[in-house]
Amino acid sequence: MPMDTPTAEPDAPETYAVPAGRLETDRFVIPAVTIFILLLLGFFMLFPLTSILRLSFFKGGHFALHNFTLINFHKYFTTSYTLNALWHSLYVSVATTLIVTVVIFFFAYALTRTTIPGKTFFRNLIMMPLVAPSIMQALALIYLFGRNGIVTAHLLHTNWNIYGPVGIIVSEVLYCLPHAFVILFTTLSAVDIRLDEAAESLGASPFKVFTRITLPSAKYGIFSAAALTFNLTITDFGNPVVIGGNYNVLATEIYAQVTNLYRFDLGATISIILLVPSLMAFMLNYYISRKTFSMISGAAKPVIPPSRPFKKSAFLSYCSLLSFSIIVVFATVIIGSFVKTWPYDWTLTLAHYHFPSIGGYSAIWTSLWIALVVGLGGAFITLVAGYVMETRRPFLKQPLYLLSVMPAAIPGLVMGLGYILAFNKPYYVFYGTPWIVVICVIISNFTLGILSNISSLRNIDPSIEEASISLGGDSLRTFFKIIFPLSKVAFFQNFLYFFMRSMTTISAVIFLVSASVHLAAIEIIMLDNDGWTASANAMCTCIIAIVLVMLGILHFVSKKIGRQTSSLVPVDA
Amino acid sequence: MSKELVIDNISKHFGSLVALDQVNLTIEPGEFVCFLGPSGCGKTTLLRIITGFEQLTSGNIIYNGRVINDVIPQKREFGIVFQSYALFPNMTVKQNIAFGLKMRKMPKDEIDRRVEDILKLMGLSGWHGHYPSQLSGGQQQRVALGRALAIKPSVLLLDEPLSALDAKIRIRLRTVIKRLQHELGITMIYVTHDQEEALAMADRVVIMRDGQFRQVGSPWEIYKNPKSSFIAEFVGTSNFMAARKTDGRVKFGQIAFRVPAAAELPGDNVYLAIRPENIEIVGVTIDADDCEAANIVEVSVEVVNFLGPVVRLTFFLDGEEMLVEITEKRFEKTGIRRGDKLKLYFPPDAFHVYSEMFKKLI
Repeated sequence: MPMDTPTAEPDAPETYAVPAGRLETDRFVIPAVTIFILLLLGFFMLFPLTSILRLSFFKGGHFALHNFTLINFHKYFTTSYTLNALWHSLYVSVATTLIVTVVIFFFAYALTRTTIPGKTFFRNLIMMPLVAPSIMQALALIYLFGRNGIVTAHLLHTNWNIYGPVGIIVSEVLYCLPHAFVILFTTLSAVDIRLDEAAESLGASPFKVFTRITLPSAKYGIFSAAALTFNLTITDFGNPVVIGGNYNVLATEIYAQVTNLYRFDLGATISIILLVPSLMAFMLNYYISRKTFSMISGAAKPVIPPSRPFKKSAFLSYCSLLSFSIIVVFATVIIGSFVKTWPYDWTLTLAHYHFPSIGGYSAIWTSLWIALVVGLGGAFITLVAGYVMETRRPFLKQPLYLLSVMPAAIPGLVMGLGYILAFNKPYYVFYGTPWIVVICVIISNFTLGILSNISSLRNIDPSIEEASISLGGDSLRTFFKIIFPLSKVAFFQNFLYFFMRSMTTISAVIFLVSASVHLAAIEIIMLDNDGWTASANAMCTCIIAIVLVMLGILHFVSKKIGRQTSSLVPVDA
Repeated sequence: MSKELVIDNISKHFGSLVALDQVNLTIEPGEFVCFLGPSGCGKTTLLRIITGFEQLTSGNIIYNGRVINDVIPQKREFGIVFQSYALFPNMTVKQNIAFGLKMRKMPKDEIDRRVEDILKLMGLSGWHGHYPSQLSGGQQQRVALGRALAIKPSVLLLDEPLSALDAKIRIRLRTVIKRLQHELGITMIYVTHDQEEALAMADRVVIMRDGQFRQVGSPWEIYKNPKSSFIAEFVGTSNFMAARKTDGRVKFGQIAFRVPAAAELPGDNVYLAIRPENIEIVGVTIDADDCEAANIVEVSVEVVNFLGPVVRLTFFLDGEEMLVEITEKRFEKTGIRRGDKLKLYFPPDAFHVYSEMFKKLI
């Protein structure tokens, strides 16, 4: 080992110390940041929520014991039209949940347990619905199976159309597929395939193996996917408002009460009713997913044995069929936006991109910059929040964690309504500006952001933070010089997540658009509502294009970064 | 220069668990102290209390005459070397070493000079532009050492720094660390569960178990005179015999050894410990004339393990498995084989006698 004898190691003439003042203030940094985030979540989540509770449970929304009333709920449950919304919501949600869970289980099974070709293609394709607002499915279905649908009216010449519960269920199924897929794919990848082999070697038939080993080992994943699907469906607004027709569900009923009838109290009451099942589904999911993670082992994955030809072709056809239906949805919306009059005149045209609404392109630009701010802000604040929770000495960690996971339980529409009720005062200067949209979208999606940051931060060796501290680093420097650079990949992923949610969300922001703030995703509803369906498709296509471009950029960037930090090629000094 | 560090009656409780139980030690300036013990003995907790990452429950940690219990880690000016190296993966070797200096707002040219000195000291000249992931484990740990030394720490604390490395590199780095300690005259506190490492490096070894200091002394002292049966087993290897004092002898099964030290212990039940290399083979390592007849036992060789410089023979004594070691050179001459009958001599003074037997670790 080449080691020179040190020549210059006599006692140093001068010693440098870490500036004492900086370290004195450092002890307040973590608590201050934690309190800031707590206040943020309190003010922009709890406060709007209490406004809804107040308006639904107290006469005139004035909080006082003698004002307490259940009259709103009485009215809700005795009016058959509004009560129907609850049954409708439960019906479509349960139906969607059953279909999605079964359909996506076999899709995930094919991708994890069989040797079909094209797995990467199928995996990417099933994720595609995430890049579009949850209204695209309904738009496509109307073009295909609506009153004037290409299949119903022109191919089959039938009077049947898809409006109503069937339309809602089919569109929600198509919308929920990627969400449920992520969970089941993770579960099935994690469960050791050697269990199946062991059972087979002991003489179990393939059917027995499937029912006795595969299904039970994936049961938490299945329940979790089901709970998530239920939650997504019952809280979705975009698809039912377009394809539901007269079939009202809770989400559309809230909107109708508030926007058409100005019955904020009833809107708030229905919000509470919607909150109950969605909260239950969320808690079930939360409880189950904790169990799922404890089951995932780091065991090496053995090679999947080649599937029998029949099994292989059956699953390949199945996956192709499902992928085809997703492609059809996208193709219908995109083609529909470029042809003159679907389905009569197929002349290509850009006419539908001259948006007839007030918002038009300015709505797209507003959405784009809001999405960029939401992406950066959301990714950053959830990383900071994750860091203060996972740091060596957290402050009020439990309350912060509790408040951080709450947003996932609150439907976007309820959050949005809470925002109007809470902040519609002249002294809240951000009300009626794009900034309230920014805040609402960040808070609505806070949970997933912070959970992914926490899991990424837990991958950083705790000694690294201690090394920084032992060398004189304070919290801010440790965060910005070490933790932040090491979390780059998670940061970009979260940026993308917040960006996508911001571009595509409808329910969280529908109450927050105003005469001065137009958003692309909301424009789709407005255009469709006013009969400009082709332009609605065009607007939807614009959103898809923007999200895809951003996806491409980030893919490129994160590839570059990944190469930079994990380079193993020795560089000559 | 390093100053005196005093561990003054320190206890640490995690709920009902006592991790450290009133431990005391004065570490001299420039001393190399090893805390040695099995996992869970509290050695890492003690190190973390010295660094300031863990708060003590009672007692004081005193440096240079000043109680530093409440001084935050950044202000203790102690260097720390971690088992996992804990290099900043996003920084080059140079940036890693310069990190502590930058925190101290040292002028840039001075930082450059200091980093260059450290690289030279650690034998890493020319590697400044590399990222940690481009270095071998041994190089990474040298960078980590250099990074900790760059800030001229008053004490260097090392938490099992070599346990993640290959055996060969581990032994080389032992020498590097020992040499640095001599050259820099810095106090080093070293935590390990590897008794060989502790014996090879330390000026003083502290044997820890169940949050207590069980024996403090030079490596030689601890090896030669283990104060308890646990230490006799944990440091090096010992054969144990549960025996009984009878008629001035110590009886183990049918064998009645003469063990002078046993007389000093109260009670009739004693435990004898003897190291494998201290058992002599009559006619091979010792002449029969030099032996006391009472301590000669005939056994048959059950297993022969060739370990390189020494050969280990397994035999049974009254149903208990025992070991004897002879050098490879002697072994070559005698040609002992499995099944051979051997006369073993247990020198009376080679026995350590204990009144209690430690509970097995596993």
